[in-house]
Amino acid sequence: MIPDRIIEQGTLTTDGTRAAVEVRLPWYRALPASCIAGAKLSVDGVEAPAESLRWQMNGRTFTFPELVPNTEEWWFPTDSAVLSGDVPVAEDGEHTVAVELVLYIPYIVIGADEVLHIEEKDSKTMTAKKAVAA
Amino acid sequence: MTLRQAQGPELGTPIQGVTLYSFTRAFHGREYDLEGLIRKSAAEGFGPGLEIIGFSSFRGFPEIDDHYAGWFKDLIAETGLATTSLAVNADIGIHRDRLLTQDELLEYMRRQIAAAAKLGFPIARVQISITPDSMEALAPIAEEYGVTLALEVHADQYASHPRILALRDRYEQVGSPFLGFTMDWGATVSGFAPSLIEAYRRRGASEELLNAVTGLWDDFYRQGPPVDQADHGQRFGRFIALAAQHGRPDLGIDLGINATGLFGPARVDDWLEIFPWIRHVHGKFFGIDEQHEEPSVPVPDLIRLLVQNGYNGAISSEYEGWHWNSWQSPFDIIRDEQAVQRSAAADAGSRMTTDLAEARAQLAAWLPTTQGASA
Repeated sequence: MIPDRIIEQGTLTTDGTRAAVEVRLPWYRALPASCIAGAKLSVDGVEAPAESLRWQMNGRTFTFPELVPNTEEWWFPTDSAVLSGDVPVAEDGEHTVAVELVLYIPYIVIGADEVLHIEEKDSKTMTAKKAVAA
Repeated sequence: MTLRQAQGPELGTPIQGVTLYSFTRAFHGREYDLEGLIRKSAAEGFGPGLEIIGFSSFRGFPEIDDHYAGWFKDLIAETGLATTSLAVNADIGIHRDRLLTQDELLEYMRRQIAAAAKLGFPIARVQISITPDSMEALAPIAEEYGVTLALEVHADQYASHPRILALRDRYEQVGSPFLGFTMDWGATVSGFAPSLIEAYRRRGASEELLNAVTGLWDDFYRQGPPVDQADHGQRFGRFIALAAQHGRPDLGIDLGINATGLFGPARVDDWLEIFPWIRHVHGKFFGIDEQHEEPSVPVPDLIRLLVQNGYNGAISSEYEGWHWNSWQSPFDIIRDEQAVQRSAAADAGSRMTTDLAEARAQLAAWLPTTQGASA
């Protein structure tokens, strides 16, 4: 696992009301959308509401409920996904970005009908660039 | 139990090789792409054997089109490597609300086995999540594609574990030469990896905690591998408790996962339980010390066991220390570990096969067919 690489340094963008950051898969192999089970995004300690979160991967944007049944789109280990949500961020100065990811590992069976899930988090400090967030 | 007995003059000559999994950190960090890693492995002399994990390295896996397969096989031919094993995954939990049915699983695996054949891999590494029933059902698919299925015996589920023996017994009943095992040295580890201790030290763990961790692991080593999953779970809990007792509860789960999930404490000769069915080897290891030795995996003993029992398949050097070791080059570490293997083979009265033509001829004789490798 490579949790220290979850957040891509220097990729925080904001349009004033939403923030977005590029995230990397902390695992060695591609996972389908269905295994991206949850995320949290906070900037300077303020967490984006769960329902405002969006996940952009392979050029498409998903809500988290939309990821659940999707076994067609895959997150390749060298690709960045973009996690965005409603968090107001000032454009100047440094900001502390924190991301938590919950991933299901679909081949590691740990119970009668259960597979392993892992929870990984990362935090990095960076400035924000102005952009229209997803 | 059927054992292949040591036959003095017929010592094995394992084929040297590497899995690109060893270089996960460099690939994930975009320092090398797939082509770059293959060329680097060839140039460094880590082959001739080459193993790749499908879902790690091939975008869109297991869908492989003709053009891509042609490009890949040309690259392998140009670099002078021999594709040995394609690691595939049985993603039975791919749907969040249910596990795959048997029919769905067989179809899921068929696509990956077809990809192995198309890319020229004679073996597909499969994992413990596949039951004896599913392996039996997969045998005709393996035969259809000419790809041997070698189920990985990994860490806590060692060769004499009931689940592995159940698979072995089923193989014997089915009688297909296309079913076998991948021996992963992580099941027969002899010590907690010092490089992981160093990684915890860098995260601020106290010397008292680190001493307690290696002491507890050594206790479990003396007791032998966990008898079942409940025993395994209890050991996991002991490491979590140890971290909490020493004021670092945040390290507990990580310690438990690594101590019980990576460092399997079975003895080397446990492999004899399944030896005749071993078709491929993961030369799992965790680091190299200042004396250029692997301090926690008994590589010389494992090589001796393979050589003396006539093993002629490939060994993929599989460096797992990349999870925590960000301060040393994985390429230097692989080079040193393969040197340990070669000298161990010489000490056992044999050698490693490093010549490409010899490796290809040897694989052709070792496997029921290398149709996959020439498809």
